[in-house]
Amino acid sequence: MRSIQRRLGIGLAATLLLVGLVLAQASLWVFDRGLRAYLEEDLRDEAQGLLTALVRGPSGLQLDERRLDPSFQRQFSGHYFRIDFADDRSWRSRSLWDRELLKPDGMGMQAELGDGPQGQRLLIYRADYRRYGENLSISVAQDYQPILQSFRRMQWVGLGLGGAALLLILVAQRYTVRRALRPLEQVRRQIAQLQQGRRTDLDAEVPEELESLVAQINHLLAHTEDTLKRSRNALGNLGHALKTPLAVLISLAGREEMVAYPALRASMREQLEQIEQRLSRELGRARLAGEVLPGARFDCAQELPGLFATLSMIHDRGLSLDWHAPVALVLPRDREDLLELLGNLLDNACKWADQRVQLTVEESADGYRLYVDDDGPGIDAERREAVLGRGTRLDEQVAGHGLGLGIVRDIIDAWNGRIELQDSPLGGLRVLVSLPRR
Amino acid sequence: MRLLLVEDHVPLADELSASLTRQGYAVDWLADGRDAAYQGASEPYDLIILDLGLPGKPGLEVLQEWRAGGLSTPVLVLTARGSWAERIEGLKAGADDYLTKPFHPEELALRIQALLRRAHGLANQPQLEAAGLQLDESRQCVTSGGEAIDLTAAEFRLLRYFMLHPGQILSKSHLADHLYDGETERDSNVIEVHVNRLRGKLGRNVIETRRGQGYRFTGDQG
Repeated sequence: MRSIQRRLGIGLAATLLLVGLVLAQASLWVFDRGLRAYLEEDLRDEAQGLLTALVRGPSGLQLDERRLDPSFQRQFSGHYFRIDFADDRSWRSRSLWDRELLKPDGMGMQAELGDGPQGQRLLIYRADYRRYGENLSISVAQDYQPILQSFRRMQWVGLGLGGAALLLILVAQRYTVRRALRPLEQVRRQIAQLQQGRRTDLDAEVPEELESLVAQINHLLAHTEDTLKRSRNALGNLGHALKTPLAVLISLAGREEMVAYPALRASMREQLEQIEQRLSRELGRARLAGEVLPGARFDCAQELPGLFATLSMIHDRGLSLDWHAPVALVLPRDREDLLELLGNLLDNACKWADQRVQLTVEESADGYRLYVDDDGPGIDAERREAVLGRGTRLDEQVAGHGLGLGIVRDIIDAWNGRIELQDSPLGGLRVLVSLPRR
Repeated sequence: MRLLLVEDHVPLADELSASLTRQGYAVDWLADGRDAAYQGASEPYDLIILDLGLPGKPGLEVLQEWRAGGLSTPVLVLTARGSWAERIEGLKAGADDYLTKPFHPEELALRIQALLRRAHGLANQPQLEAAGLQLDESRQCVTSGGEAIDLTAAEFRLLRYFMLHPGQILSKSHLADHLYDGETERDSNVIEVHVNRLRGKLGRNVIETRRGQGYRFTGDQG
């Protein structure tokens, strides 16, 4: 989609250019017509002046030099005439010098300009008369070149002025449009910030035209967040309602009386375990916000200390837990989702670690990288694929604890992220989670 | 060890009470958040097991109230809400450990033992050890110099309390407060009898009598 700004600019420039050119050309044409009509009068007067200068002399008709306009005598003065008689005699004005003025074919003003000496362009007028019993035709010409030149000059000046005016108008228009569109630009910037998790709603202080749009977006945001909160709460209640009786059943299965029926007890325990795992997984998955909320934000410096305090309380065996993240880094992801992801990965690392667990958060050009390192036994390269594969249970070795990789994978899938298992510089396993930017 | 169990689901509370009593704990049970807020702060409990979804007052609020009032008793939060965000919230409110439902009773037992040891500065011990004695809390017997000695339930309870407070002078009424739940008739003579039986099994000087003050666990088996 092209920008409104550019579209308005191009439209305006094209219109102005077209209108300007047509207007300028048309006014020149009208002016030219008027001028020629005016000059025709002059030329007719000159022809009649020549006619009256024809007098009967001693050797027939001759021109009375004194009555002639002096410009007819001066060489290439721009004023010329030619008089043709019926017996193919013709006289030329002296101003023509050695050049010929062709006799036009028709009477009156000639539509086409004729060629004159020294590159002159001539307006030619012809009139036929009868004098002293002789038919004669008088053609009078006037140089039109200076006027054509001034026309051309006017065209250039007009073009320059028009171009400058166009530029001025475009700049002014650009400024106006930008001013008018500034609120739109502001909303666009705020939506981008929303995507990056740097704000949670849009400013409601916008011009009338945008008010309902912004209000609608804000309403939608609030609604989505509210729905998420409510559904999380409902899921929490459902979990509570199901898990408490489940705890009773698990406790009952462990009773002294059951020791006498080992097969029954084992089968009950297994089934209960399955219910529990399924329930946790599905409830966990249903809780995910995923990509729903554009205003999601996870402030590393604010959330990670709490998470690490919790981890060090749970894994109370002298582990050294630390995290590194760029100052003031905010990840544009839902807080609870990210806590769940990191909590599960770090909890896992803490279970296997010898002494050290380390989380590193990095911002890269195309997104974010989370490294969870431990110095435990690690996982052989051949087994890593299998561990990440769907349906694998890594928790078979640690009784009573799910590895949480299922929910981790659900979260990463919802974000279109990637998870990789690598060798850690600490000596154990490194889990690398890459999240794309939004 | 006297525990307060705050859980509104009656069948689970019954199960837990029975199982905890079998493990030698004196258990008081409450189902309402408001009662818990009051009683938890006024009775001398050694540990509190707190469910978060309580009627009357939410568990987290009860916990915050206790901590704001200066109560330092270790609190184990028991909840079906197992997400990490909720766990962090619970620990921020002042919980010392967090166990999500459903759980295995053995897991709960281990967590309680670990929490009690930690609260008495005996962290990082797989078993309760004091002054050369090792107490096996699951089998309720004590090992002294490589020799396993069986204990009765009452002896086990008393010895565990002593071993968690080595070197401290404990009066009879203090012991009675921490070994019996709120509904049991207290008779200080019973404690005297059990102390004497422990001396008989472990040696005269294991527990010394401070006249007018109470008993002191020395672990001296000479």
